[in-house]
Amino acid sequence: MLERLWEMVFKADFLFVMIRITAPILFAALGAVIAEKAGVCNIGLEGTMMISALFGFLIAYWTQSWIIGVLGAVAVGVLLGLMMGFFGIKLKTDIILAGIAVNMLGGGGTIFLLYMFTGMRGNTGNLVTPNILIPTVNIPLISKIPVLGEIVSGHSVLTYVAFLFVFLMWVLLYKTSLGLNIRAVGESPNAASSVGVSVNKMKYIALAISGAMAGFGGAFMSMYYAQGWNSGMVAGRGFIALAAQAMGRGEPVGAMLSSLLFGFAQALATKASALGYSSFLVSMIPYAFTIIGLVIYAWSTVNKVKKHRKLKIRE
Amino acid sequence: MNKFWQNLKSILVKDRRMMMFSIIRGLAAILIALGVGAIFIFLTIYINTDDKSQTFSKGLEALKYMLIGPLFTTKAGVVSFNTMNFYQILAAMIPTIFTGLAVCVMFSANQFNLAGEGVCMTGGFVAALCGIYLSTGTALDPFICIIVAAVVGGVIMLIPAFLKVKIGASEMVTTLMLNYVLMYLILHFLNFNFADRSKGSTQTYAFAESARIPALVEGGSKLNWGFVVALVFVVIIALFMFRTRWGYSIRMIGINQSFSQYSGMKVGSAIVLSQVIGGVLSGIGGGIEVLGRYSTFLWKELPGYGWTGVTIAILAKNNPIFVPFAALFMAYLNKGCMLMSTYCDIPSEMIDIIQAAIFLFFAAEQFLSKYRQKLVVKSAKEELAHIAKGGAENA
Amino acid sequence: MEHKETVESANEDLVVRMVGITKVYPNGIAANQKVDFSVRRGEIHALMGENGSGKSTLMKVLFGLEQPTEGEIYINGEKAVLPSPTAAIAKGVGMVHQHFMLVPSLTVAENIVLGMPPTKAGVFIDYKAAVKRTREFSERYNLPVDPMAKVMDIPVGMKQKVEILKALVRGAKILILDEPTAVLTTQETAELFHELKHLKEQGYTIVFISHKLNEIKELTDRLTIMRDGKSMGVYDTAAISEEEISRLMVGREVSLELEKPKAEPGKTVLKVRKLCYTNEWDKRMLEDVSFSVREGEILGVAGIEGNGQRELVDILFNFRKPQSGTAEVEGVSLIRLSQRKIREQGVSMIPEDRMTYGIADKGSIEENVLSDRISKKRFNWGPLFRVKRMYAESDRLIKDFKIKCKSRKQQVMMLSGGNIQKVVVARELSCSPRLIIADQPTRGIDVGATEFIRNKLVELSRAGAAVLLVSADINEVLMLSDSLIVMNGGKVAAYFEDAGILNDVMLGEYMLGLKHHDKETIAKACHEEAMPEVSNE
Repeated sequence: MLERLWEMVFKADFLFVMIRITAPILFAALGAVIAEKAGVCNIGLEGTMMISALFGFLIAYWTQSWIIGVLGAVAVGVLLGLMMGFFGIKLKTDIILAGIAVNMLGGGGTIFLLYMFTGMRGNTGNLVTPNILIPTVNIPLISKIPVLGEIVSGHSVLTYVAFLFVFLMWVLLYKTSLGLNIRAVGESPNAASSVGVSVNKMKYIALAISGAMAGFGGAFMSMYYAQGWNSGMVAGRGFIALAAQAMGRGEPVGAMLSSLLFGFAQALATKASALGYSSFLVSMIPYAFTIIGLVIYAWSTVNKVKKHRKLKIRE
Repeated sequence: MNKFWQNLKSILVKDRRMMMFSIIRGLAAILIALGVGAIFIFLTIYINTDDKSQTFSKGLEALKYMLIGPLFTTKAGVVSFNTMNFYQILAAMIPTIFTGLAVCVMFSANQFNLAGEGVCMTGGFVAALCGIYLSTGTALDPFICIIVAAVVGGVIMLIPAFLKVKIGASEMVTTLMLNYVLMYLILHFLNFNFADRSKGSTQTYAFAESARIPALVEGGSKLNWGFVVALVFVVIIALFMFRTRWGYSIRMIGINQSFSQYSGMKVGSAIVLSQVIGGVLSGIGGGIEVLGRYSTFLWKELPGYGWTGVTIAILAKNNPIFVPFAALFMAYLNKGCMLMSTYCDIPSEMIDIIQAAIFLFFAAEQFLSKYRQKLVVKSAKEELAHIAKGGAENA
Repeated sequence: MEHKETVESANEDLVVRMVGITKVYPNGIAANQKVDFSVRRGEIHALMGENGSGKSTLMKVLFGLEQPTEGEIYINGEKAVLPSPTAAIAKGVGMVHQHFMLVPSLTVAENIVLGMPPTKAGVFIDYKAAVKRTREFSERYNLPVDPMAKVMDIPVGMKQKVEILKALVRGAKILILDEPTAVLTTQETAELFHELKHLKEQGYTIVFISHKLNEIKELTDRLTIMRDGKSMGVYDTAAISEEEISRLMVGREVSLELEKPKAEPGKTVLKVRKLCYTNEWDKRMLEDVSFSVREGEILGVAGIEGNGQRELVDILFNFRKPQSGTAEVEGVSLIRLSQRKIREQGVSMIPEDRMTYGIADKGSIEENVLSDRISKKRFNWGPLFRVKRMYAESDRLIKDFKIKCKSRKQQVMMLSGGNIQKVVVARELSCSPRLIIADQPTRGIDVGATEFIRNKLVELSRAGAAVLLVSADINEVLMLSDSLIVMNGGKVAAYFEDAGILNDVMLGEYMLGLKHHDKETIAKACHEEAMPEVSNE
């Protein structure tokens, strides 16, 4: 059985599925990256994805345009990020608690909101029509290449956008003055404010971008992956994204690699369940993977720190 | 002697003022949360009914169900106390008191451990299995099952605790993942190993009658002796946190870890202990709930008590004594939302929106801080005046 | 001895003039009292004083980090209001802080242009331009830095140059340097002086905060001395001797009487031998430090802060680990021993940073004052506390140590600074310690609490405890110590068996490095003759 599983991994369609599964995690992971760079921990990514998934879908349905739907999802994400910022920075609610609050809104709150706007319960059922879903793209020349074409071509628009964002996030952080300010604020708020950079403003901006990323992730889920919205759709991807950010050492490329790793785990799980392994055990794989990955990462950091002779007890 | 009374009065006035401020601020936060809920209720009705003019009256009716409904029913203009609802509310408090206590302990040590969800479900599962396969047929059964659930809960929490202490892995992310891992493990074993195939939906075999926790009140309210056990634990944990050296260490480490280290406390042990206790309590909560309310284990997903526990701990400000009150409040609101959903077609998930709002406003340090500032200044001025008048304080 | 104070004529070109500056902090401490301070254009002006003299506060006011309670500031002849560093920078004032305000993972060029980077299309950073600008300024001011290197990788000397460049790039014509040579090696210090003189030639004005006499003599034109929040006058550097400076900086009337019965030291309690410690930045902070403290005596550790005292205290309480050397209390090594076991050995410590280590601010007085003994049998009955006994003990400590509070339940953070320190002292001194390490025990607290704590230390010493007193306050160290050692540059520079022969001026000279003892005298600090076993020192 294991050999069959191993064989399947190296098929093109497995890698295709892997990339597709990675995309939403990647969006959220990038959101975690930028927030962390500014020194804020956004654990509300999960809830943000849920809420923007819902609104993205609804807006697409109402306007019958997937583009406006995606933009709507992103806008909702930005709003949620700013709201977290307001409570976390202005009213000084612990940012973690603010994140948990957003997750609660994303849990039961979305079910409520769905009913409020459509009268439907728990999922969007048959509201789905092809024109409101995010289209897939067949890249002209590449799709003809034997193996590579199967893996790379045919993904939804947003999938390509996700990987593009890795590059764009890198550019933002390392090539723009905004990115410089954000990094300075996250690493040494005193140094930043001593040269006139507003620490709070940067945190708001970072949270807004973080929310936007989660918004893209949510749109991906409801308007392509699951073809509709249902509660329980996001299933912890927002949390896995936090681990991906940590394991990627807080860098966009690292987060991408970690996200791919989790995508791999989840794709593996799907294949394994098709082969007859218990679907539950198999569903467990990505989450267990995350814990193990985090442990390895933390362990390696401790060794690095020991080398720098930090001798005082840290929190 | 006169000075003593003067000093005492000034203590009470100043401290009472700050206490009043805290209470008022808390109430304001709750009112705002309820207000936010009310807004959503009105919006929902407005959007979903055809006759828009009815919105206000329908909205009021919904609010009535939510806020008054849980304890009072109106029949033909007569308001009466609904005892059955009351017992149901008390019964609903049982698991959340335990998870609330668990979070109080863990948050007191500054550990953002969120695995209460998964451990609660595990506790229930383990207790059920004990009730099925390990029952002795005697009245000892529930005790045995619950103790096993407690131990398993504590052992599971060792994982994130040790990871935090030994390699500094964030307990927040590990526990969030752990919840899913536990859930899927349980679902797997439930479906493959322990399912009663003769039943329509997925559930285990019934556990022995002797394993079930006897009811406290007859009549189907599900209020069982577990409620008494819960209250006993409130006292135990309160004593633990405030009257033992371990609880003291946990609290001091949450306030200032460097200080605790320097004073000679064992920081690592206390961190682990706080999480293990959290696990034990969550496990017990799950176990009691399953053995008290049901005859088999039939949860198909995480029960949600863990998150309610977090809300309760926030409302109780991490103080075990206030946990039952916070749990009562949440159970009451929950019942209200359920009633509202039954009679008014408004989804019971309103409770989550209210909970989120409570989180955001109740835990906001700067909420109404301008007024606190005014109070502090007022108190300081009075104190100075008191001193100037000839109080004994000299620099 | 006569000293010639310089007189300023009305038509001096005073680039900075501060008049009647008073700064009173919310806790009642007057850091500056009607201070007049002025700087001529194009001069290098030293601002001198001990810790607590008010010199740092005065410069914080000039840089807009603090607002004066009273007084006025004139920059280039115009009245200036400086509510924030941004305002000060706009007026041409730049500050190089003692603890660098740099972002470690960013490059030198990025740090320098942070907040005002050259851009392409307004969004993207023009790195080439930033590097070019950095190089230009670096060359113009002769402050060689590597623009592409990350700040965390460059040596301390270069970090400082980056800080200076940061100020210059923002248009500073007046540079305030706060203890710049505290972190530099001799080589780097020489480089810095060279660069500063170069800047002076280009018309920049420099305020140089320091207490290092030799450097000030070498570098500066004039100097202002501050003491206890007041200005002691401004002098031409060439016209005043080091001894006079020392006297003005350090001498003061002994304001508190202290009854101190004669010390009768017994056997050795603390034995420190050849302690060596190098910190994270590869700076040697302790070099072969050896001394002993005997029961019944107070050994003072005098010295300007930053000469190894911090590291010494941290090592004794296992907050740092030395590279080599020993520290034993009655035969048991303290190094790497857990704080619990250190306390079990009878060692207590009054920490310098009381808010971080000394108390849990949100806890009650009772919770704080008993924090080291909550596990003791007398307070526990099985798993539970014996609350009545704890209440009684807390009340007793509050009474014995005269802690001004509402009740033992009051939160510690509500108390005044002096009373917070009394809580710490009440705890540390009430457990019958064999060795008391007191690190700046009366810093920043009121007179009454200060007097009380000092008397307590003497009382316990005479009852048989060994006291190691580390204090940058010359007055305190002279008043309390029976014997004392002086730390300078990480070494024991002097040992006085009888501290009574010293006065503040003399001690000041040793503290400032003007004088030091020979090896034999210093070795007497080890009291080998008091120990039964043969030593091969």
